[in-house]
Amino acid sequence: MKKTVDFIIRHAVLLILAVIWLIPIVWLVVTSFSGYRGINTSHFFPETWSLNNYRALFLEPDSVVQYSAWFKNTFIIAIFTCIISTIFVLMVSYTMSCMRFKGRKALMSFGIILNMFPGVLSMIAVYFVMKSIGLTNSHLGMIIVYSAASGLGYLITKGFMDTISVSLREAARLEGASEATIFMRIIIPLSKPIIVYTVINSFLVPWGDFVLAKLMLNSGISTDWTIAIGLYNMLNKSLVNKYFSIFCAGGVIVSIPISILFVLMQKFYVEGVTGGSVKG
Amino acid sequence: MKNFFKSIGNYFKEFATAIAKGDIGVKLSLVIMGAGYAARKQIINGIIMTLLEAVFVVMCVFYAAPNLAKFGTLGTVQFEQKFDPLTMTSTVNDYDNSFLILLNSIIALFIILAFILVYIGNIKTVYRLQLRKEAGKHINTFAEDVKSLFNQKFNITLLTLPCLGIILMNIIPILVLIAVAFTNYDQQHMPPNALFTWVGFKNFKQLFTNSTTVTFGYAFGKVLVWTLVWAFFATFTTFIGGILMAQFVNSKNTKLPKLWRTLFMVAIAVPQFVTLLLVRNFFGDSGIVNTICSNIGLTDFLKSIGLVGSHLTYIPFLTNPNWTKVMIILINIWVGVPYQMLIATGVLMNIPVDQLESARIDGANKFQIFWKITMPYILFIMGPSLITDFVKNINNFNVIYLLTQDVYVTSDQLLANSNAKEVDLLVTWLFRLTNEYYNYKIASVIGILVFIICAAFTLVTFTQMIKGNREEDFQ
Amino acid sequence: MKKKVLATLLATSMVAATLAGCGNSGSEAGGDTSAPAADNSADTAADTQTEAPADASGDSAAADSTASDDAVATLIANTTGPVALTVWASEEDQELTTTLLDNFKAQYSDVEFDITLGSESESTAKDTILTDVEAAADVFAFADDQINELVKAGALQEVVADYTYDVAGENVAGSVEAASIDGKLYAYPMTADNGYFMFYDASVFTEDDVQSLEKMIEVAKAADKKIAMDIANGWYLYSFFQGAGYELSLNEDGSNTCTWNADGATDVAQAIMDACETGVLVQMTDEQQATAIAEGTVAAAVNGTWRAETAEEAWGENYAAAKLPTINVGGKDCQMSSYSGCKLIGVNPHSANVGWAMLLAEYLTNEESQVARFEARGLGPSNIAASESEAVQANPAIAALGEQAAYATPQRVGNNFWAPAETLGQILASGNPDGTDLQTLLDTAVEGITAPVE
Repeated sequence: MKKTVDFIIRHAVLLILAVIWLIPIVWLVVTSFSGYRGINTSHFFPETWSLNNYRALFLEPDSVVQYSAWFKNTFIIAIFTCIISTIFVLMVSYTMSCMRFKGRKALMSFGIILNMFPGVLSMIAVYFVMKSIGLTNSHLGMIIVYSAASGLGYLITKGFMDTISVSLREAARLEGASEATIFMRIIIPLSKPIIVYTVINSFLVPWGDFVLAKLMLNSGISTDWTIAIGLYNMLNKSLVNKYFSIFCAGGVIVSIPISILFVLMQKFYVEGVTGGSVKG
Repeated sequence: MKNFFKSIGNYFKEFATAIAKGDIGVKLSLVIMGAGYAARKQIINGIIMTLLEAVFVVMCVFYAAPNLAKFGTLGTVQFEQKFDPLTMTSTVNDYDNSFLILLNSIIALFIILAFILVYIGNIKTVYRLQLRKEAGKHINTFAEDVKSLFNQKFNITLLTLPCLGIILMNIIPILVLIAVAFTNYDQQHMPPNALFTWVGFKNFKQLFTNSTTVTFGYAFGKVLVWTLVWAFFATFTTFIGGILMAQFVNSKNTKLPKLWRTLFMVAIAVPQFVTLLLVRNFFGDSGIVNTICSNIGLTDFLKSIGLVGSHLTYIPFLTNPNWTKVMIILINIWVGVPYQMLIATGVLMNIPVDQLESARIDGANKFQIFWKITMPYILFIMGPSLITDFVKNINNFNVIYLLTQDVYVTSDQLLANSNAKEVDLLVTWLFRLTNEYYNYKIASVIGILVFIICAAFTLVTFTQMIKGNREEDFQ
Repeated sequence: MKKKVLATLLATSMVAATLAGCGNSGSEAGGDTSAPAADNSADTAADTQTEAPADASGDSAAADSTASDDAVATLIANTTGPVALTVWASEEDQELTTTLLDNFKAQYSDVEFDITLGSESESTAKDTILTDVEAAADVFAFADDQINELVKAGALQEVVADYTYDVAGENVAGSVEAASIDGKLYAYPMTADNGYFMFYDASVFTEDDVQSLEKMIEVAKAADKKIAMDIANGWYLYSFFQGAGYELSLNEDGSNTCTWNADGATDVAQAIMDACETGVLVQMTDEQQATAIAEGTVAAAVNGTWRAETAEEAWGENYAAAKLPTINVGGKDCQMSSYSGCKLIGVNPHSANVGWAMLLAEYLTNEESQVARFEARGLGPSNIAASESEAVQANPAIAALGEQAAYATPQRVGNNFWAPAETLGQILASGNPDGTDLQTLLDTAVEGITAPVE
């Protein structure tokens, strides 16, 4: 008897929590199917249902909605950002974790401190650096901006590599393997979970950033934008009442690839993030 | 600290010995950097070094010198443009852009500094080559040098590109903005049309003095307190919430733990800016939640107990200072807990089972086990990441900005006079100062202070971590 | 089409003439309204223009027409290779602008153009432009409230001469004044409808009701409807204080002069609080108003033409527009004032093709284009001839703006105004929850508004 009560209470609580967590998401989804384009404030579920928002998103591009173009831009930027960032992070982590050289600790502390400076402030200087090499309003520029300083995010990956047994490396060294070989053949295959973690995290950056992207892509040509700028722009005062439900539809579509990525990689992600954060 | 100065002393001492005891090859290297290598038949190394030197000299003449010459004043020639109505063309004078002068000077100084280091290192290397030669030891061929870059010197190979990226996109912008804190760069002095110049510590003084018209000091204090309060609550609520939820979901008695976990993870999968902007409309003054609350009579109830002002017909979720602060923290729990749950799930999986078992045998109940064994374990493991989270929350731009921008109007007039709001974090305040008011000078000062606060927090914790050489313990 | 080149001096005095003219009509019609800010700045110029009659431009037109043709011909002759131009227009204006750009290219078919059209909302153009003036478009549309900051940042090419039509002469005086700073013309007026007025549901209010705010509140209360206004916004809050005769103006150095804390100003604050206290006049932002109007909770709103469409859809035949009502301040009925607003087109002085950019800006704002803009989007033309057409006159929103124009002033205010005014509005709209003394409240706000800029 006590067990059944416990069972019911436990699952009732879980259900309530799940509802709380899902309500906004459900609202996002149902609003994306709304026939009314503004913000519906009197009913949770739309009064009229339609697929028009999705059609507007993909089939009827105008200057405000260029979803396919944004999706493509963001995807390209995300792919390259993710490749470069992951490589940089692995390179820095390996050096910091597995090699011993003069000034290593100083460099590590310095890297941590650098991360403390509020990024929103130095943005304007980043913009002018990129402008002086002619890379504003270009996707190459965006890739560089997102990935160039990614080496600073080495901490969690380094923590993970610290947990890889040092005897493996020593054995390899005795057999005459160079550092490069150890890095490529031993450490990388063993770091699979943390690589997945880094890949997911760096892949997500361009999908969520609108501040830096808006500054860098300032030509006003909406086909150049990334998804984040485009969706943010739809909630502009003068547009929100015509585009709110399209914004929701856009939000739903962005979430799909990210959700798939998460579900597929969930196991590695948990292993990676805990492996890294555990050992700091 | 003592070691630090000692190593610097050694650094220059070695340099001095190299010059003093070096042969003609080494001494010639002072002028032509490749000479020392050529003397030891390392021709390719020699050529590379000499080319590097040549490039540096060219850079100095055409880039560094013109910019550094104006660094003291940040430019004197104001932008002037003349339009000729008859030819319909305009002519622009050769004007100075203070910001570009500042930026380029800092880049140039950086390159010069890097070159000096390379230069000193070069002399030492060629001297070492000389010693090896004298001792009759083997001198590396170029191929061997390249090979060492993949072995003993692999760290150099690995770090070069990431460091270049960090210098370009991180260090130089930071230095520029630190410099801006000592200038009068604001809307009245905006390049290219106007010049700005150095003003020393004036901006710092402005931030710490209060007058009736300049309320930056007052605003800074208020915003700082809220920033710390926010960072504290945001960090601990999500942390504890995540652990509790992970416990709950992963418990043996819970059916379908995977399903529940996935349900909560949906909240992470939707990009943060989408959910936050959505939630902002969800809780708007005339939003859907308010409609529901007033339909079920909650609004009237809250009015009757005084939580909602009597003249309001809605609950000011995101428009009243106190409501907003609470809502922001609650919404942050919503955003952050699933993520923390994911991490806690992993940590809980690794919890030493034997300890739990023995406690159970000793007759401890669930709550005792949780508070006496599970929590200390988690705290021990996740302590460091808790500190990083705290710092991240001090700089948590997205949550605050997306929830309050365009919606929240401050009702504190003194804050308003400094363009701040009760719910601003230091970062959102400085973002608005730059983005809407172009007050770069004050924003930079605030940025530096945020930096100092965060760096102090982290330094204390991380030096503890690195000092103990704990990293080797785990390997 | 009149073609002429105006010498800089002549252009200056022209503008001064129109400035002075507008100022007079404004203060006469406004009664207790204090004279618009621009009057002060135009003082010196106005002295010199008294003997230069307004039709001087007409006399010189014939003589100058050849000169202007020459200038354009020279420009065409000197142009080699494609002319690259970037144009920014608002999201809603993209389709129309594309057509106009095609027409422009056709008109100068000898020249090869490479024109890129970007979207940038007129109301926020300043934010993007000021971040990096050099990267901004060659020709861009913006709302006139930004002109002061744009000129200060060197983002606007002074209109020293016009080539295809008389910019200062063919547009209504108010719009030319809005496009000028210190008597110098800095932009091309595009529309004259960016100010605010009131629209209402005629099934709730009669034409007599909307004359006074107190009457409206009474009627709305009986009908269980609300009247919406964005009081927590300096732009709208201005209408109360200016209407009651308290001054707000811009100084030379970018700071403000403000008398909102003068004797009796507390009556204005009290009047706003009283109106809000009834629960009928409600604080709502523009977006909130759109939803509330569509849902039928709001029966009257102080807003601009951009919201007219929403109201028309919601109220159908009962959609009506009028000037702002009067408000009872300390026992006296004061006509609420407003900011008149225009949309302008500016040319970036950093443009590589300033000449072409100016010609394009002229084209986008000439009578033909303004008529097209009205037909496509219902935007009120600033061009005198276009605005006098029957179709324009029949548009209720534009008619209401015309009615309000007598009490409206162009917006000349420094950046320090907005945040303190926003907060003041918020406090008043929420009934002064802390119970601060009204005079203190106003004193603090004015301190912020008039804070010095360095």
